[in-house]
Amino acid sequence: MPEKRITIKATRYDPEKDEKPHLQSYEIPFYDESMVVLDALNYIKSDVDGSLSYRWSCRMGICGSCGMMVNGTPKLTCNAFLRDYWPQAIVVEPLNNFPIIRDLVIDMEDFMHKLKSIKPWIIRKQEIPLGAGEHRQTNEQIDDFRQFSQCINCMLCYAACPVYGLNDEFLGPAAIALARRYNLDSRDQGLKQRLPVIGDSEGVWECSFVGECSVVCPKGVDPAKAIQQTKLDTTMRFVLPYGNRE
Amino acid sequence: MPAGWWTRKRHYFLYVVREFTALPLALWLLWLLVEIKRAGDGPARYSPHGSTAFVVFSVIVLLFALYHSVTFLSLTGVIIRVKLFDRPLPSGLISLAMFVLWAVASVVIGFVLIWFGR
Repeated sequence: MPEKRITIKATRYDPEKDEKPHLQSYEIPFYDESMVVLDALNYIKSDVDGSLSYRWSCRMGICGSCGMMVNGTPKLTCNAFLRDYWPQAIVVEPLNNFPIIRDLVIDMEDFMHKLKSIKPWIIRKQEIPLGAGEHRQTNEQIDDFRQFSQCINCMLCYAACPVYGLNDEFLGPAAIALARRYNLDSRDQGLKQRLPVIGDSEGVWECSFVGECSVVCPKGVDPAKAIQQTKLDTTMRFVLPYGNRE
Repeated sequence: MPAGWWTRKRHYFLYVVREFTALPLALWLLWLLVEIKRAGDGPARYSPHGSTAFVVFSVIVLLFALYHSVTFLSLTGVIIRVKLFDRPLPSGLISLAMFVLWAVASVVIGFVLIWFGR
């Protein structure tokens, strides 16, 4: 039986040589039904063209490094099976809405800056000494924020968000979902520090609820929900007389 | 972003349709304000604008309004968090409550308009 093969068209871009990115085709063996797009890229890198650049790390949908556009949809390439596309060719491009550094590698500086701006860590007015024991939480308290804590910062939601594509000042889905994760955490007291960022005109109010961020999230996080709930909460804080209470 | 970004995916297209429906709705409401101003001159001098084109436009706007309302109310379950006995209510129940409120409000407003318009 002849060996099954599949065509991968990958974006190539060397800023020192190329005026703009272009696609390069590679035909590679598709020898295992469990092969994913990342395996195909690794095959190209090791056996066909060692100059192809892309990010990856864990290969199991945890690290969030290998996000790329696969046939126009933001995907973790370690979770995009070749069998779902074969015999059609697969077009692999860098994530939409980000500057390209080289080939499939994007510049994530903007996202890192935004992520830091919402202070994604537990903020306490006064730290409780370690000797005083744990911050205990009930199951219901954990359920409040659990799904938002699954974010792996893969940035697929930014690539899917046309609002961010049109205005890169927008804080964006993942950063707001993480802000919500900490604001809903019963151990956290940092809401007032995050409000100026998330309540800004380039924060939650820039979002017009396209909802594609939640569709593409590989971890089942619902950033669109986080954004709309934050809109409602900040409005209530403003409107209701007791809204600004701690 | 290319100008045709919203044609790339069905989800984007439906989003743009949802947003677009607000535009003719706004135009129709502006026209309603004009009609109210005209009606202010008294019933004797008022005749409602009833051309076929306007009736067709109104029917289209009604369909847009229904589409906009249904998509908006369907999303309320995602947005609104209500806890009962420390447990969040299911989002489907919240959306259903919104649809019921919408229906009740429509009946009440319809009744008031018909009753006082006689």
